Amino acid sequence: MSESYEGTRKGLERYLSELWDQPIAIDRLTVASAGARRQNLLFELRRQGEPLALCATVIPTPDMQLVDVEVEAASLRFAETAGVPVPHVYAVCSDPSYTGGPFFVTGRIEGESIPRRVLRLVESHAGLGARLARQSGGALAKLHAAPVENAHPALIGPGDSTPSRFALNLLRLEMAELLQPSPAFRLVLRWLEENEPPPPSRVTVIHSDFRNGNIIVGPDGLRASLDWEGCRLGDPMEDLGWLCVRMWRFRNDELEVGGFATRDELRAGYVAAGGIWDEASFHWWKTKGTLSWGLGLAKQARQHLDGSFRSIIMAASGRRVAELEYDALMLLRGSYGDPAPDSG
Amino acid sequence: MHDRPDAAELLEAIADLLEREVIAATEGGLQHRVRVAGNLCRILEREMQLGPEIEAREREALVSLLGPHAAGERDLRELNRLLMARFDAGADPSFERRAWQVLLAITRDKLRIVKPGHDDYDFAAEVVT
Repeated sequence: MSESYEGTRKGLERYLSELWDQPIAIDRLTVASAGARRQNLLFELRRQGEPLALCATVIPTPDMQLVDVEVEAASLRFAETAGVPVPHVYAVCSDPSYTGGPFFVTGRIEGESIPRRVLRLVESHAGLGARLARQSGGALAKLHAAPVENAHPALIGPGDSTPSRFALNLLRLEMAELLQPSPAFRLVLRWLEENEPPPPSRVTVIHSDFRNGNIIVGPDGLRASLDWEGCRLGDPMEDLGWLCVRMWRFRNDELEVGGFATRDELRAGYVAAGGIWDEASFHWWKTKGTLSWGLGLAKQARQHLDGSFRSIIMAASGRRVAELEYDALMLLRGSYGDPAPDSG
Repeated sequence: MHDRPDAAELLEAIADLLEREVIAATEGGLQHRVRVAGNLCRILEREMQLGPEIEAREREALVSLLGPHAAGERDLRELNRLLMARFDAGADPSFERRAWQVLLAITRDKLRIVKPGHDDYDFAAEVVT
């Protein structure tokens, strides 16, 4: 690998050697992804003679850390205990003296994680999409059933409020920051305000970003759920709604679950594993997720324009807002629109 | 009068360069940014061609929806702000139904520029009443 990761490699070797009390040599280091805020490095090593294939998530400097690596690693361990397929955590380090920033090391799980490749894999294996959706439902049901008191105490949650009330307050704050008025988003927010679901029977640990793009998939189905940075407390239906937002279908629009299966498969997997599915709440959280993503795109454009994050990708996000306005408005067609043309 | 090529034609030339030559000569993150830049040129090309007609239609639709609330206003940003204020003023189901139709038509027009075909999918299977 390039010279720029030599320091990181040496830091990881030094930390793991101390942790395991034996000399550790890192081999075959490659960069899986190198975002501005975090890098994922793949490597191999031997521990007491046993070969291990690992992945290090490295945050370049302490000030780039949005969520404490200790909390993220605790969420991975919480999920593993609950029976959710996740990479096993081997090491967590907040001390920047090793690699320059905080990091954690997990096992490496082979398979596809890039959304279009996941969809290609699904298309080439009969029944895989349905299995993946059922397994996803099962994994989420296990996460939602796990005892909240065992989660890391720093996980954010609605506190004394309800999950939907908490979400609406955040949406109002984000709406107030728009650079230009969006009556479409305002109307969607109005609908959300007037159709709030009853609070869930339990506030549970939720992943909050479980979707095509954050899962590892093989021909056998779901192998792991990744990116636990956003793990928090909330309404379990939020996870299911988010997984079904159109943005994660990658043009396979008719297959509501990540572009690989229908909602029926996801619901069947969720219910079979003990989850309680609420259709109205599901629709509310899917609509809320669509609006949130639209407001997030507008925020990216704002960060480009105010100079806090200049990037052509962030600039282009501003011109994607209309996609989410359309999706969110269409999710309300049952309330505001004419009957669907094919419904008689 | 500008000499040819006009603005849309120049954007097309830049997009062609980015998509046919620069993408092939780059990789990874830079290649992705070049692809995005090429797509932005295509968006601007369509905006040059369709923008004035679409903005005029949005103005008419908002003026008509707002009725007396538009009060002679012609500025698009202000008209949109007035509609936001109308929503903020309180629930009005029949107005919201009309507004939904108008906003959907405006959004479909915007998509003709930024993402043609995005509105081919109609969410019919996802409707909850």
